[in-house]
Amino acid sequence: MPDQSHVGRRYEARGQVVDGGRAGAMATAIAGPATAFEPHAVPPTFAAVYCLAPTLAQVFTDPEVGVNLAGLIHGEQAFEWPARARPGDVVDASAEITDVEEKRGMTFVTLRFEAARPQDGAVVCRGRSMMIIRGQA
Amino acid sequence: MSAPALSTVRVGDELAPLTRTVSQEQINAYAEASGDFNPIHVDADFAVAVGLPGTIAHGLLEMGILAEALSRWAGSADRLMSLEVRFSKPLVAGGTITCTGRVVAVDEAEGIATLDVEAVSDRGERVLTNGRATVRLSG
Repeated sequence: MPDQSHVGRRYEARGQVVDGGRAGAMATAIAGPATAFEPHAVPPTFAAVYCLAPTLAQVFTDPEVGVNLAGLIHGEQAFEWPARARPGDVVDASAEITDVEEKRGMTFVTLRFEAARPQDGAVVCRGRSMMIIRGQA
Repeated sequence: MSAPALSTVRVGDELAPLTRTVSQEQINAYAEASGDFNPIHVDADFAVAVGLPGTIAHGLLEMGILAEALSRWAGSADRLMSLEVRFSKPLVAGGTITCTGRVVAVDEAEGIATLDVEAVSDRGERVLTNGRATVRLSG
């Protein structure tokens, strides 16, 4: 299970391509039976795909951290979008474990994320996630 | 819909509520698009086995619907500068979510509105709480 000793661990996922087709699929999924508001735009929460997913995949498979995926709940999410991700952008994503706390038999893990376009240095997303892990690994 | 002009936005202004019923098909489509196939979202037997009433929507799908409500108000998703929420209660597949928001501050110098935002379900549960968004206004 994650503990205080894991605070400061960093994970990098360079060269993530912002896939316009997949962004459109997300816009459609968010709209459900309705028509997507901006079907050809990259939904702001598409940061989940180009920033969170590729770095979290490393966190979740880090054998030294040992996250119990079966007990994982997304507790809180914050995003900032200083610049806009566009279809075809290539971004470097990174994540860092910034806090681990045990409360009431649960483990609260806070991570910070960033995704930037190396081409012009623009930060397209900063994020903070709080994950709750119930039960033992 | 065009972006609200800075000069017309006031503290207390409210978003047009956005209500959406989230079907299992929609959750499956979101799983496909996001790559998040956690079984609590797509496998009813698994969800019940871990103590949920059934499969639940991805928190980030609910957040995406809230972002859409803000984008509609702002005129474009490009004007949404930040959004944060707490996933307080799960939204069960087939449930209906209503996203609301209210302007709590207007920074005239920067041209930015801050809104408190939240979402409730048709079960009366506050599914997204502690929500806060910033939006860049035009003009």
